Amino acid sequence: MPAASWLLPAGLADILPPDAAFEAATVERLMAVFAARGYRRVKPPLLEYEDTLLAGPGAAMTGMTFRLMDPVSRRMMGLRADMTLQVARIAASRLRNAPRPLRLSYAGQVLRVKGSALHPERQLGQCGVELIGSDAPEADAEAIVLAAEAVGAVGLADVTIDLTMPALVPAIAAGLGLSAEATTALVAALDRKDVTRVDRIAGSRAPVFRALLRASGPAKPALARLASIDLPEGTRAELARLRDVASRVGAGRPRLALTIDPAEHRGFEYHTGVSFTLYARRARAELGRGGRYVSTMGEPSTGFTLYTDTLLRALVAPKPERVLFVPRGTPAATARRFRAEGWFTVAGLEAVDNVRAEARRLFCTHALIGKSVKPVGRGR
Amino acid sequence: MPPKTRSANPRLSARPGGSAVAGGKSVDHVIVALPKGRLLAEAMPLLKRAGIVVEQGWDSPDTRAMRFSTNRPDVSVILVRSFDVATFVAFGAAHLGVSGDDVLMEFDYSEVYAPVDLGIGRCRLSVAEPTDMVAGDDPARWSHIRVATKYPNLTQRHFAARGVEAECIKLNGAVELAPGLGLSRRIVDLVSSGATLRAHKLVEVEHIADVTARLIVNRTALKTYPTVIGGWIERIRAAADAA
Repeated sequence: MPAASWLLPAGLADILPPDAAFEAATVERLMAVFAARGYRRVKPPLLEYEDTLLAGPGAAMTGMTFRLMDPVSRRMMGLRADMTLQVARIAASRLRNAPRPLRLSYAGQVLRVKGSALHPERQLGQCGVELIGSDAPEADAEAIVLAAEAVGAVGLADVTIDLTMPALVPAIAAGLGLSAEATTALVAALDRKDVTRVDRIAGSRAPVFRALLRASGPAKPALARLASIDLPEGTRAELARLRDVASRVGAGRPRLALTIDPAEHRGFEYHTGVSFTLYARRARAELGRGGRYVSTMGEPSTGFTLYTDTLLRALVAPKPERVLFVPRGTPAATARRFRAEGWFTVAGLEAVDNVRAEARRLFCTHALIGKSVKPVGRGR
Repeated sequence: MPPKTRSANPRLSARPGGSAVAGGKSVDHVIVALPKGRLLAEAMPLLKRAGIVVEQGWDSPDTRAMRFSTNRPDVSVILVRSFDVATFVAFGAAHLGVSGDDVLMEFDYSEVYAPVDLGIGRCRLSVAEPTDMVAGDDPARWSHIRVATKYPNLTQRHFAARGVEAECIKLNGAVELAPGLGLSRRIVDLVSSGATLRAHKLVEVEHIADVTARLIVNRTALKTYPTVIGGWIERIRAAADAA
C-alpha cells in the first residue's frame, strides 16, 4: 500500500495508543464529576435535519456545519458542529415534562467544515453540562465552579476563569444611542481591545468603553473599577448580577484564579448573561467556555462545554504501571488471578528464549518468570 | 540545517503531549516579538522608555542572532519578520509583540489582543492602479478583478464587502512592479509618502485603512498572568502616551 494512500483529509487524525485510551479515561473522569453533582447523561445523534440543528441560536454554526442529503427522507441533514444546542433541543422536546431545574451532561465528537489557525482540527471532542430552567445566580455559580472542579479533577490545577457579560456592551451601546451597525463594529474592536478603533467608532461616547477595557483583570480590583464607571440606566442590574456571581464563585472555590473582562464578546453570540472562559497556564488556548442563555423554549439556562482535545494537549498521559507479560504455557487461571489483582496481562503467543526482552519489546513493565513477577525496565 | 532555524530556547520548542504557552509553567520570562525592518528602530526607544533595553548588537547588519537578552533578566526579545510577529504571539510562542495593524487585519487571529496604539509606523493601506488606467475605469462595473498584494485575505474581504470577487496574487514584496509587468493591473499595498507609487506610475484610487503599529498580547498569557502581562501593557502604554 503506497504511503500516500494513508493520507487523511485535512484536520482529521488517527488517535493511537496510549492517547486514545487516555482520552477516553479523561472524558469518563469529567463525566463522573458531572454525575456526582446530579447531571445525567444524554446522547444526541451525530446527524439531525439541518433546519432543526441550525434553528435559532444554531444559526451561528451554519458556516461550520457539514451537510448531506438523507436518501430516505430526501431532506438535508447537518452533522453536528456543536452539542450544546442538541442538548437544549432535547430539554425542550422529549424532556419538556421533566422537572426543572434539569441537569444534563454530554460527551461526544463534533465535526467542522473548517478549522482555525490555532485549531486546524476538524473533528473535536466536546464534553459539558446544561442546567436548564433556573435563572438563579446560584445556577451560574454552580456551572462555573463545576467547570473548574472538573478540569481540576483531570489534573489541571492552575485554571483561571475569566468572567464576561456578553450582553453588557450591546446594552450600553443601545443606552447611548449607537446604531446597530456601529455596535457590531464596536464589539469587534472591543474583542481586540483596540482602543484606537473604539475611539474612532464610538467618538464622544468612547470613554465608557475605554473604562470597560481598563476594568478588566483580576476580579476584586476589576469589580471595584467597574463600580466607579458611570453606566447607563438599565445596565446596572447586569453588573450587580456579575458581582453576585463572582462572590458566590469566590466563596465556593476560594483558591480559584478569577478574572473579569466586561468587554469580551467573541464566541458568546447567543449568550445573554454571566458567561465564562476557562484558561490554564499549561494550555495555549482556552479549555472551554460557557454561560447563560435562553433556550428555544424560552427557558433561562446556563452550562458549559470543555474542549477535550485542548485539555488533553495540556495533560501528560500517565505511563501504565502494571503491565505483565505472561509467557506462553502459563495456565489461564494464573493470568486471570493477576488480572483480578489489577494487572493488565499481555499473553505470549509463541515460545521465546528471552522472556524479559520479549516483555520489554511489547511495552510490558513486568514479566512472569517462573512463578515470580520481575520488573523488566521501561520498553518505550 | 543552519543553526538559526532552531529555537534558542528549549521552553519554546514543542514538548511531547503539550503545547505550552511560552515560558512554560510560569511567566518568569516574558518574550517580546519585534519586527525586523523599518519599525524596529522606532520601537526600540519606546521599549526603552517602558524599561526594556535590548542588549548590544541587535542593529548590527551582520548579526545572525534572533534572540536577545535585555537589561531585565525576566524579559527577552526575538526578532522575526513583520508578518510573523502576529503568528508568534497568536500561538503563544511570544507573550507580547509589536505589529502593524495591516498584519493584524490580514490574519485576524482571535488569540491576539491589540491594546495599545504605539503611534509609530504610521501609513495607510490603499488600492492603486496605473495612472493611465484611472480615467477609463469605473469601479461600479467590476465583478471580478485581479490584485497583486501581500494581503490576500484582507483584500478579498474588502472587495467582497462591495460585491466584487478579488483574485489575489500573493507576493512577499516588490508589489509595485506587478502592474508594469502585467502580473495584475491593481495592487493593494502600504503607502506612506506615495513616492514609490509615483515612481512606478501608479496612483491611489481607494483608501482601505489607516495603519499604525500596535502592542499585541497573547490572550491566554494575559488571562492566566493578568498582573505580570497587564503590568507590561500599562508600562508600554505610558511610554507610548509620553511620546
